[in-house]
Amino acid sequence: MTDLASQAVTLDRAQSARSVLSLRDVSLNYGAGIAVLQNLSLRIERGEFVSVVGRSGSGKTTVLNLAAGFLTPDAGQVLIDGRRVTGPGPERAVVFQDDALYPWRSVADNVALPLKLAGVPASERHARAARLLEAVGLAGEGAKRIWQLSGGQRQRVGIARALAAQPEFLLMDEPLGALDAMTRELMHGLILRLWQDSHAGAMLITHSIEEALFLSTRIVVLAPGPGRIVHEESADWGRRFLSGNDPRALKSEPGFIAARERLVDAIYEREAA
Amino acid sequence: MSDSAIESPVQMPPRADKSPRRLPLGLAYALGTVTLVLLVWGLASGRGWVSPVFLPSPLRVGQALLRAATEGYANATLWQHMGASLWRVFAALIGTMAIGIPAGVLIATSRAGRGILDPLIEFIRPLPPLAYLPLIIIWCGIGEPSKILVIGIAMLAPIVISTVSGIRAAGENQIRAARAFGASRWQVVAEVMLPAALPSILTGMRIALGAGWTTLVAAELVAATRGLGYMIQFAAQFLVTDMVIAGILVIAGLATISELGLRLIERRFLPWIGKS
Repeated sequence: MTDLASQAVTLDRAQSARSVLSLRDVSLNYGAGIAVLQNLSLRIERGEFVSVVGRSGSGKTTVLNLAAGFLTPDAGQVLIDGRRVTGPGPERAVVFQDDALYPWRSVADNVALPLKLAGVPASERHARAARLLEAVGLAGEGAKRIWQLSGGQRQRVGIARALAAQPEFLLMDEPLGALDAMTRELMHGLILRLWQDSHAGAMLITHSIEEALFLSTRIVVLAPGPGRIVHEESADWGRRFLSGNDPRALKSEPGFIAARERLVDAIYEREAA
Repeated sequence: MSDSAIESPVQMPPRADKSPRRLPLGLAYALGTVTLVLLVWGLASGRGWVSPVFLPSPLRVGQALLRAATEGYANATLWQHMGASLWRVFAALIGTMAIGIPAGVLIATSRAGRGILDPLIEFIRPLPPLAYLPLIIIWCGIGEPSKILVIGIAMLAPIVISTVSGIRAAGENQIRAARAFGASRWQVVAEVMLPAALPSILTGMRIALGAGWTTLVAAELVAATRGLGYMIQFAAQFLVTDMVIAGILVIAGLATISELGLRLIERRFLPWIGKS
């Protein structure tokens, strides 16, 4: 699986210089004077996995929408390698909670769409779509229709599609929010392997503290009213999982549990005990 | 249960498929309604409840139909009348789609497009075809173009409005995904908005065809020498009621066939409709 995944998603760009996606002092208001985010700064380097957690209304999804270029900040800048970006671009791929797949295209054609938009010839994009589907465990399902897939399979198609154009950054907006607990755990391993093989910088918006801790190299806690970063936490359980550690054992470690409690305290703005 | 299974070992599968059973039931109701109407109609004319000038018997209408098909009526055979009318309706449909779908795209995607085109469509939408027919004749004469134009104007609003609402129904994240993959404005329209709008556009086409058949008779009021609307009016002038009813039935039949054809297209080419 790992070999297949690396075949499919490793690219020339992967070896290229390190890129940085950064939000610099961004503020965003909805309507008259209602601040959603205030002076928020966040940096994601390639090879990092940054999760954003926080209560509902803390502006998590807004952070992703700014990073993706779907929203423009009222103040501050979104930069890639110091260059200002003002809209979406193929170097930043997005995975959506509602999968946002196209039911009029087959599974393989959904995955191949970014390649089509990038001008890749048909034969090559079919071959690459097939390899990507193999990498997400959907080998041979390319001819199926979207509605013939389960929720977990759809999210895998969404992830394969996001990786198709070999992005430098993978932005994920609660991609596993609608999945059951068993499927989520399977997806965690898949996401970690794809992240490692693609050498992308990942941003994950999630409600699940445990998910954030297990997957990320860094967790950022947002507090609402207006949205701002109140806590940051480094983690390495995802990397240790990738080097062969058992996930259940990792999640039972005292360090994992302590970090989880720190994050809960930060999210609910409680004084640490 | 087990007894009957032993008696007839080759049993039908248990009621796993309910929908194929429901369809014949609906069909049975439909056929029953048609039979009832024919029965009442036959009785009313056969028993002399209604004068044959007003309501000829179903048999005489059938004979009129046969006569029109074989010998012809009103300077042409039934087939030529049908051909003329079908040409007008479908030429109008294709022309209207060629204009209406791009107009709908502009209204849905651009503020200027909306500002300019929306009032025009809203102006045309409620107008009855008979109201603008004289104007079209003054402008375009009494030839074929004005007939197609009258039908096309009646079809424009349903096509435009269904395109607009179909595009608006495209998922925000579906559009965002395409933009994130580097799609240009035009590519977003072609790859996401139009496919997402297709089911709605098809519904608009069905409504437009209905409006087209409705307008056909008005369009063929003036200086037509062929067409089902012309045939009906010709017959009505001489009180040939059986031919009037025959013409109405042919229009109804053609409208039903085109509706079924569109439903077939929907099922064959847009299988994702109704599937999330």
